[in-house]
Amino acid sequence: MKINLRNRLVKGIGVGVAAVAVAATLSACGSSSSSAPSNTNLVRIAEAPATPPNYIFPFMGLQFFSVSNINQFQFLMYRPLYWFGDGQSPNVNYGLSLASAPVYSNGDKTVTVNLKNYKWSNGEAVTSENVLFWMNMMHAEKTNWADYTPGALPDDLTSVTAPNSSTVVFNLKASVNPYWFTYNELAQITPMPNAWDITATGGASNSGGCAAAPYGTADAKCSAVYTFLSKQSGYDPANPQAANNALPTYATNKIWQVVDGPYHLTHFDASGNVSFAANSMYSGPVKATIKNVNLVPFTTDTAEFNALVGGKVDVGYLPSQDITGNAVNSSTPGPNNSRLGNYNLVTGYSWSINYFPFNFNSTGDGGNAGPIFKQLYFRQAFQTLVDQALYINKIDKGYGVPTYGPVPVYPKNQFASSYEENNPYPYSVTKAVNLLKDHGWKVVPNGTSTCVSPGTGATNCGAGIAKGAQMNFNLQYSSGSTALTQLMNDEKSSWAQAGINVTLGQASFNTVLGNAVPCASTSASCTWEMANWGAGWIFAPDYYPSGEAIFATGAGSNSGSYSDATNDANINATTSKNVSLTTYENYLAQQLPVVFQPNPTATGEVNKSLKGFTPSTLQQLNPEQWSW
Amino acid sequence: MIGYIIRRLIQAFFVILGVTLVVFILSQLIPGGEARAALGPKATQLQIDHFNHLNGFDQPLWVQYWHYLLGLFKGNLGYSYRNNQGVTSLIAQRLPKTMVLVGASTLLSLIIAIPVGMRQAVRRNSLFDYTVTGVGFFLYAMPAFLVGELLILYFSFDLGWFPSQPPSTASAWAVFTQPQDFVLPVITLAALTIAGFSRYMRSSVLDTLAEDYIRTAKAKGAGPRRVLYGHALRNALLPLLTLIGLTLPAIVGGALITEDVFNYPGMGLLTVQAAQNDDIPLVLGTTLVATVATVLGSLLADLLYAAADPRIRLGGD
Repeated sequence: MKINLRNRLVKGIGVGVAAVAVAATLSACGSSSSSAPSNTNLVRIAEAPATPPNYIFPFMGLQFFSVSNINQFQFLMYRPLYWFGDGQSPNVNYGLSLASAPVYSNGDKTVTVNLKNYKWSNGEAVTSENVLFWMNMMHAEKTNWADYTPGALPDDLTSVTAPNSSTVVFNLKASVNPYWFTYNELAQITPMPNAWDITATGGASNSGGCAAAPYGTADAKCSAVYTFLSKQSGYDPANPQAANNALPTYATNKIWQVVDGPYHLTHFDASGNVSFAANSMYSGPVKATIKNVNLVPFTTDTAEFNALVGGKVDVGYLPSQDITGNAVNSSTPGPNNSRLGNYNLVTGYSWSINYFPFNFNSTGDGGNAGPIFKQLYFRQAFQTLVDQALYINKIDKGYGVPTYGPVPVYPKNQFASSYEENNPYPYSVTKAVNLLKDHGWKVVPNGTSTCVSPGTGATNCGAGIAKGAQMNFNLQYSSGSTALTQLMNDEKSSWAQAGINVTLGQASFNTVLGNAVPCASTSASCTWEMANWGAGWIFAPDYYPSGEAIFATGAGSNSGSYSDATNDANINATTSKNVSLTTYENYLAQQLPVVFQPNPTATGEVNKSLKGFTPSTLQQLNPEQWSW
Repeated sequence: MIGYIIRRLIQAFFVILGVTLVVFILSQLIPGGEARAALGPKATQLQIDHFNHLNGFDQPLWVQYWHYLLGLFKGNLGYSYRNNQGVTSLIAQRLPKTMVLVGASTLLSLIIAIPVGMRQAVRRNSLFDYTVTGVGFFLYAMPAFLVGELLILYFSFDLGWFPSQPPSTASAWAVFTQPQDFVLPVITLAALTIAGFSRYMRSSVLDTLAEDYIRTAKAKGAGPRRVLYGHALRNALLPLLTLIGLTLPAIVGGALITEDVFNYPGMGLLTVQAAQNDDIPLVLGTTLVATVATVLGSLLADLLYAAADPRIRLGGD
């Protein structure tokens, strides 16, 4: 699922960066205002620059699927069936979930979900019908659901039933890995209130005929409800270009006031100024002591930093250019910026991996790029020259963690294997050079290595690589991030030590993304070689770090067209059988389908007087657990 | 005069049409198109195809452009997925804010620059002239972000006189209800333009004072004030009128750096963010607005010129 990594990548405009740098140099004496809050009933949270929330209906298309819309906006009001994340743990959090742990039976082909006693703010109970409402809508509108993958939910269901008001039973076509189904499939479900089952403003609850219908029998009615609710959220699926500008109505529209989360909306404007008040009917385990929450919009990092210095927000983030001292280690921040004396600097991992793809079908480099990328020895040499520890220390100032394979190693979790944790390819120029020499290449450090021994034998360059082929590659990366530019230039220098000549090019995030699409080696336009848009993959809301969406043959986000039968079988096992991820992840950590990259960690700023805040690895906000 | 204006407006229509066509064609060259920009790195081909079909992006380009033009005539500039809002609505929110900010700073600049430039010209090579020239050059050379940050550091953080940023909820009307919130951004912008305006004014007044008719006025016994304000000022303002006319695009185009530093969501940031995000309808919309402002600004400058100098007659009159 798409969680918008642009929030982290695009750090505003360069002038803004320069502005803060200059300002910080000019005055180290200014410090933020008193940490004591003037209003203990209010907490002010900074939004990421230029990404205010702009979609309220949880059943949405990929275009609206972002951290700012889901984790930091909708989740405050509308709780998912299963809540994932507990501080720095990405695991399912049954304490904050609407249902108890799912029960798997019938050879893992039947899943029973038992709801707890949650209530909507209108007094109605959160029932199995509310879950069925979501599932019926998914059945009717699966192509408009952001997380839809052909073959997965709802395609893998034979039926969904609600034997009583607190039980939902999912019957599956085939056995599944319970971890996978809970973390990737059930995680998608957000129960919807009967008050939303309408097709016109002022309609009676359930008048839409979608929520109470047996599963999959009311597609037309559910589509009508979907269209109505989407329009109330500002998007008309029947005529997307006819914007209805519903954003200013979010806080006054009665539909959106029916919530089961700890807060409800009291103000929303198109600029991103958002206010919540505590939901007095909230039936979760922790009731809000801070009754009001404001989300504060910022145009750029510079403006957010100035607001921190001025004490205008209570929870914010420290822009990377304003980090003034190295972290002690990946979990312990270093000294805070001296201008933010009333804040604690906190750091948090992201439940993600960072990488950029090779294009295995590339016809670039005179037709040599694709065949060279297909050679394991080359990928090993290339990865061996990526000194992640150095880059984290030097570029990220210690606020980063390495990526060694397809499963995040940090935060510590039960999915990462010891093989992956121990870095299969530690930095070594000698090893990289030897790998190339041992496979028929004449290595010219700081020049261009050349294939001198073509062929497919163990000591030859490999299939499709002619004598005289050179290691000249192009790598396009996203502009706008000083850290990424520095990283790419440092890596280029490192690769050059083995005669791997990488020409760097910059383009906008979307241009890089638009170029790096799967293509066939027979296509004349399949010339891109490597592309780094600056972020890899966040495992949310597909929280199980399996690789069916990224590394399986033909997967939609397998940009580089990596294809390996063993890997496909491993991935299939992780979704359909009750097996661990170890075989899958060890194989890919060794096979290197992509170039694994250091992964920056988040740097947050929290008012010293605010208690109970813990950074979330899934970038969620739980202000109901905070107090002054 | 009316015939001239009508001809210019007809020309403007075709210029605007041409600009929209060029920008529309260029926007189609972006790899991945609007679908990839809106859906992000995790979009599957199925999702991209579905998105393109829903939005009509799978239709021939000329059909898409025709639909865009039809929408334009109805006042619909399209829909920004990035913002989940109509482009018209977005511009309607941002444009007044920018007009207030840049308009107020331009007005302040003129109020200061015109008398200062005149005084510099009258007291050419005096201590006052040298001082103002020095300060002017200093301000002219200062980057906007530095001026802004310095003002924030001193007047907001240290002295606490003014807020470091106008409240983001403020409408454009807030400039009248909460004028103190706009002091720093307006001064930042004005500081940079005063220098330019005053230099133009100084040299223009100097040129005018050397004209024969000024010498004649003096010979006929006109006092210095009458010579300056009664005879020289009107002609000396002519070059400045051109400058003011050409300021109109800036007024609607926004002041990117100042908006950035002061967390002021105006047209400048909207335009840049639209370009960064490949938000094609918004890029088209902001370009259209800037084009209209440029064309109208140029026309306004010509009209002001004619109004200020009766010797100038516009074509056809």
